Amino acid sequence: MAIIETRGLSKVYTLGKKRQVVALNDVTLNIQEGEIFGILGPNGSGKTTSLKLLLGIIFPTAGEIAIMGENQFSIAAKKNIGFLPENPYYYDYLTGPEILKFYGKLFDIPSSTIADRTEELLNLVGLYNARNLALKHYSKGMLERIGLATSLINDPKILILDEPTTGLDPIGCKETRDLLIKLNKSGKTILLSSHFLSEVERVCTRIAIFHRGYLLTTGTLTGLLEEYQAENLEDLFVKAIEKFDTAEQK
Amino acid sequence: MKKAWVIALNTFQESLRKKTFYVLLVVALVVIGASRFFSFLAAEDELKMIKDVGFASIEFFGALIAIFTALTAVSGEIEKRTIYPLLSKPIKRSHFIIGKLTGQTLVIFLNFVFMSLFFIVLLLIKKSPPDINIFKALILIFIELVLIGTITLTVATFATEAFNLIFSFFLYVVGHLISYGSQILERVENTLLQRLGKAFYSILPNYENFNIKDKVVVGVSVSWKYVGTNVLYGILYMVIALLIGIYFFNKREV
Repeated sequence: MAIIETRGLSKVYTLGKKRQVVALNDVTLNIQEGEIFGILGPNGSGKTTSLKLLLGIIFPTAGEIAIMGENQFSIAAKKNIGFLPENPYYYDYLTGPEILKFYGKLFDIPSSTIADRTEELLNLVGLYNARNLALKHYSKGMLERIGLATSLINDPKILILDEPTTGLDPIGCKETRDLLIKLNKSGKTILLSSHFLSEVERVCTRIAIFHRGYLLTTGTLTGLLEEYQAENLEDLFVKAIEKFDTAEQK
Repeated sequence: MKKAWVIALNTFQESLRKKTFYVLLVVALVVIGASRFFSFLAAEDELKMIKDVGFASIEFFGALIAIFTALTAVSGEIEKRTIYPLLSKPIKRSHFIIGKLTGQTLVIFLNFVFMSLFFIVLLLIKKSPPDINIFKALILIFIELVLIGTITLTVATFATEAFNLIFSFFLYVVGHLISYGSQILERVENTLLQRLGKAFYSILPNYENFNIKDKVVVGVSVSWKYVGTNVLYGILYMVIALLIGIYFFNKREV
């Protein structure tokens, strides 16, 4: 069953009076319940735009989105989503437990449940010992971890993560990967965007490759490697992009 | 609405961490306190001076705090990108704007209470306990400050911070000159120009409606009817401004 669906999704930004930039072009995508779906693409390919559209932060120029059968602005749909933005920035005067409480309240979670989940999540992301520290004293990696914790405060069915390992050291990256797999096994559908191919290769059950706002291809890694006669994901990525650029030049 | 309150408390907490709030409050208290040192004047004139400076300072510094708090309420969230995780949560955009407005109103109220209490203490020291008219003037000043904040927040939903800063101060000045402007318009012979001018003035908030301090200082009593009517005028203006703000923010790309 598709838990996230987009149909003909497009986003055009108008810059100034005449200039238009197509950030996303006619993207139709289905993300199945229980999978880890990776959106791959170089910078400016439309990855973050897609996620912002799914979350109702920006508005599509054309097309439709359905999240658990509801549109992207639906409160009911958003209750089931956890989101980690790229380079997360939170209210830096708050401590870890305070930021979790703030977001928890926005989900109407009872205070006692927030308190329980806070302790659990801070331990999960390894920030329990830094619980009294204001976020302004956090390192980039710590911000990424607290971001992950805030995205889990509502125990979401869908986790949307934009570049979740940016700023993490190799050990942090591995811990995050392991955590994502664990969360997926517990029943969460995960949609992540990344330009770290190795990360995607290790955790994703299906991938989509974006380039210049176009969805080039989508499928399982093995299926796509076969289709593009590629040796690995890096090779597949390059071939998919080259194929698109060559077709466009013609 | 519970979610708007969560956002309001966070906005309040955030504003109290900004140095601007304390700097303006301290300067305001110093200015109000300085009015006490006109002891070379006759006792009656000194009291008048304290009231004059007190009311003017509460209004002016209150307006500065209202403008600066509202100015960054929306743009600050966008610039720092704290808006992304916020809008991904199950909240309506209207909750965000109502929360921001409530939060900044709490800031304005706190600042207003500090300044007003200081002013009243000064009057008590001068053995002139405040009468009911002093409180009527303070009520109207508070409504004016909240209105200034609301309009600045509304403009913040669709305009840049720089434009909003200039516009808010322009409106603050023009809003206090509407009565003079209307008088000048009466003398304009061109009817089209007169109509346009009247339409322009009827759209703008008339901040002079909230100004009864000149009367109160010289001991003229102001009716509750006048106070009530203008409180309602202020609230109505705020509701309209808020709805416009929500409308624009519902359409805004962040």
